Amino acid sequence: MAMDTAVSTGGVPVEAPSPEQPKRLASTWKRVIKNRLALVGLIIIGMQVIMAVFAPLITTYDPAVLDLSVKELPPGSKGHWLGTDEYGRDMWSRIVYGARISLVMGISSVALGLIGGVALGLLAGYYRWLDGLLMRVVDLMFAFPGILLAMLIIAMLGTSLVNVVIAISIWSIPSCARIVRGSVLSLKNREFVMALRSIGASDIRIMLKHILPNCTAPIIVFGTMRMATAILSTSALSFLGLGAQPPTPEWGAMIAAGRDFMWTSPHMTVIPGIAIMLVVFAFNVLGDGLRDALDPNMETR
Amino acid sequence: MPEKVLAKLENVKKYYPVRRGLLNRVAGQVKAVDGVSLVLHNRETLGVVGESGCGKSTLGRTLLRLEKPTEGRLYFNGTDISSLSARALQPFRNKMQMIFQDPFASLNPRQRIGDALEEPLVIHTQLNREERRERVMGLLEEVGLRRDHYDRLPHEFSGGQRQRIGIARALALNPSLIVCDEPVSALDVSVQAQVLKLLQSLQEKHGLTYFFISHDLGVVRHLCDRVLIMYLGQTMELAPVKELYKNPVHPYTEALLSAIPRPVPGRKRERIILSGDLPSPAKPPKGCPFHTRCPEAMTVCKEIRPEWKEVAPGHQVACHVR
Repeated sequence: MAMDTAVSTGGVPVEAPSPEQPKRLASTWKRVIKNRLALVGLIIIGMQVIMAVFAPLITTYDPAVLDLSVKELPPGSKGHWLGTDEYGRDMWSRIVYGARISLVMGISSVALGLIGGVALGLLAGYYRWLDGLLMRVVDLMFAFPGILLAMLIIAMLGTSLVNVVIAISIWSIPSCARIVRGSVLSLKNREFVMALRSIGASDIRIMLKHILPNCTAPIIVFGTMRMATAILSTSALSFLGLGAQPPTPEWGAMIAAGRDFMWTSPHMTVIPGIAIMLVVFAFNVLGDGLRDALDPNMETR
Repeated sequence: MPEKVLAKLENVKKYYPVRRGLLNRVAGQVKAVDGVSLVLHNRETLGVVGESGCGKSTLGRTLLRLEKPTEGRLYFNGTDISSLSARALQPFRNKMQMIFQDPFASLNPRQRIGDALEEPLVIHTQLNREERRERVMGLLEEVGLRRDHYDRLPHEFSGGQRQRIGIARALALNPSLIVCDEPVSALDVSVQAQVLKLLQSLQEKHGLTYFFISHDLGVVRHLCDRVLIMYLGQTMELAPVKELYKNPVHPYTEALLSAIPRPVPGRKRERIILSGDLPSPAKPPKGCPFHTRCPEAMTVCKEIRPEWKEVAPGHQVACHVR
């Protein structure tokens, strides 16, 4: 009988083995790096992370301390290379601490949104009877313009950065739920799910241990793209006065404050504007790069 | 043959609703399995043969209670399991397992082989980590894989090796019944023979009962003790394998057997070529489901569904003509 088995006693496989595949993470990483634009995005995000983490080390001034003796200095001034704002606060310090705020806001609202969206998407995709109901609720949420929904939520909860996180995460839930539901639907009918049911695996076990790990790629791409939207929305809401309150160095709030000095000190609006633009651009191109790199069509079976 | 009955099906039906329109109204039913009565003996191999879409896979899944029968009774070891809840079925799950057709789709691509094989043990036994690992190593060797395959991912294996993993997973809990859903039809012919031999030796060693779904009559003849012929969700003929190949009764069985290529050129038998397409199981013909394509159909075949009758000991058939 032993002769009929796939492996002969000498350890030589009878059936052709498939070549050793490189580690998935490493190959994804390589594909992302190869994409020039995604690499630029990655570098910008890396810089933002460094600024956020080491903010106290790379700044000399407190971002919230007023010094009216040096107000409205243009960029390139001595001691304030990015200039100062209308109260004499150092622009560089405010941008650096703003990077910290926007990163924390982005990560926390995307994480909350993903938790909600993944849970709903899994349930809707797995249980047919829940699908109709949940997807109609999602349709309803899609019918609201995103920023309006966020403003509504903040109007109910009150103005604060925490409430902005809640508003943005709630608004992220429906699109995330849709994406996850789609992946679950295609995975649910694969034979390995049937095999798990035949060994008596519970629904929760199948969903969390088997279906979820197989739809990480779209979730990662969605999360990255959503970071851009979340950061932009945070700034938009702060610009409208619904998010960060003075003297918090939030980029959107900084633009709002600088509006009155557009002609005399344009750097007060332009610099935070560039910061927002760069970060949103970075997350978008990285998301694009990740999507290409994680494309299931490029995966070998 | 006073053999022990392992599983028994009584008039088992599985209908799927066809929903249409805005309100998801039930517009019709696909009769995937339409009234199957059957006894499965301990340690036998029952081959189930039929065209694609004839309900043989659905029958296999219903037998394992992966699908709930719409009607009818299903007994396993004398217990009626046809309407048990998922929780109440749990003790039966380790006694009946399944081997799937597509070795690529039947393994979670993100799960290491060792974890996949340990999973049934985690769910059903109290073994600790080392004991589970030892059991899985034993399983790997039993199905002809190596111990160092434990940490590999499915994509590192060939089709035949993956099918061996599927077999090991089915064996993990020492089941008595294994439904094999076309286990070799996705494999190369050379690998098919290896996997079939493995299945045979495992049956002898563990006293397994196979419910062997296939459309390859050659494989069935080689492996099975009895053969069930299905057509459009209904049973056409059931007989011991030698009897069926020597003395087929149903015209459909005759047509199927005449389609087997013969290695001896001189002994040609006339091929019966069926005309027409397989009718849709959503609108099965009245009377005998086969009458639209049967060369010997009579008027009565169009009106009345033939009875499931015994024509010889252990040889049952549903046909008006014979």
